[in-house]
Amino acid sequence: MHVTVISPERGVFDGAADAVVAPAFDGQVGILPGHAPFMTLLGKGVLTVRVAGGGDRFEVSGGFLQVVGDAVRIVADQVQTS
Amino acid sequence: MAKPRELRRRIKSVQNTRKITKTMELVATSKLKRAQDRVVTARPYAAALAEVIGDLYSPELAERFPLLRQPKDGSASGRRVALLLITSNRGLCGAFNANLIREARHRIDELEGQGATVGLHIVGKKGITFFRFAKRPIASQRTDIGDKPTAAHAAELVGPLMAQFAAGALDAVDVVFAQFRSAVSTPPTVLRILPIAPPRVSGRSANYILKPSAEAILEQLLPLYVRNQVYRALVETAAAFLGAQRTAMKNATDNAGDIIELLQRTYNRARQAQITQEIAEIVGGAEALKG
Repeated sequence: MHVTVISPERGVFDGAADAVVAPAFDGQVGILPGHAPFMTLLGKGVLTVRVAGGGDRFEVSGGFLQVVGDAVRIVADQVQTS
Repeated sequence: MAKPRELRRRIKSVQNTRKITKTMELVATSKLKRAQDRVVTARPYAAALAEVIGDLYSPELAERFPLLRQPKDGSASGRRVALLLITSNRGLCGAFNANLIREARHRIDELEGQGATVGLHIVGKKGITFFRFAKRPIASQRTDIGDKPTAAHAAELVGPLMAQFAAGALDAVDVVFAQFRSAVSTPPTVLRILPIAPPRVSGRSANYILKPSAEAILEQLLPLYVRNQVYRALVETAAAFLGAQRTAMKNATDNAGDIIELLQRTYNRARQAQITQEIAEIVGGAEALKG
């Protein structure tokens, strides 16, 4: 599935990934390929984008996560690579 | 005719000026490239936010959000409007700031003509200096936002205004900034950021699972949207300033070149005239000695 992570200043991540674990407002959510259309608010915490053989971690806070079709979009108010 | 020595001094002086303007042009060009990148990379976020708000927005929901509250019909008199003017801290950029200030004054006149009271909030030394000179009270001012505005700057700027708007102490917020169409086209623009004009609905309303609810999501995202509009205004103005500065400095460099050419020609002629005169004197002297 295609994942994009966007901060107000720039796109932080754009590419294919196997799974996403995001800090939603009420706890962690995991997104795997084939997830139903979904939208939730983000809280504060660590966002993990898993790619085969590794992955990226970001500290995010605020914003939202959206799943449409095979695309996951994380639009965060603040993003820091950690 | 001017003395050759005098002319040589002026040529030197213009050459030095040209060196400075040329350097400033190069510096502005390289900064502009990065500023332009910032404008471009800020686009996906703005687009994503606008799209989602457009999806979630419905007129029924709008009634419940203070930030979406449209002004009631009727006369505009007695309304309180905040005008946020974004200018640059530095000059040497042609009519860039003058254009922004003029646009802001038009807007103020227009609003006050309708009977509204306008509070002026200014970013950038140039705008502040002008309105201080014009003896107009300034509600708030900032000069610490340079070539690289951040989302945090935008949040600090618009946060208090949003709070006042939500509390009903303000009826509208306008931003005057330089839109960055290209490095040479940067028209001053007025944008009404509050109340929020709902983005066009894309019509594509997927059957989302919404958590916690459409209202809660909208409530969180609307302030982000307003903040992002201010951020974009800051970034575009910063890029536009560098574009204007580059153009101004390029013109100055070209003009200096013209002046040098002209002075050089005058100098050559003066030098030639002096030599001719000296020869004439020598010949005349020799003639007289022959006597």
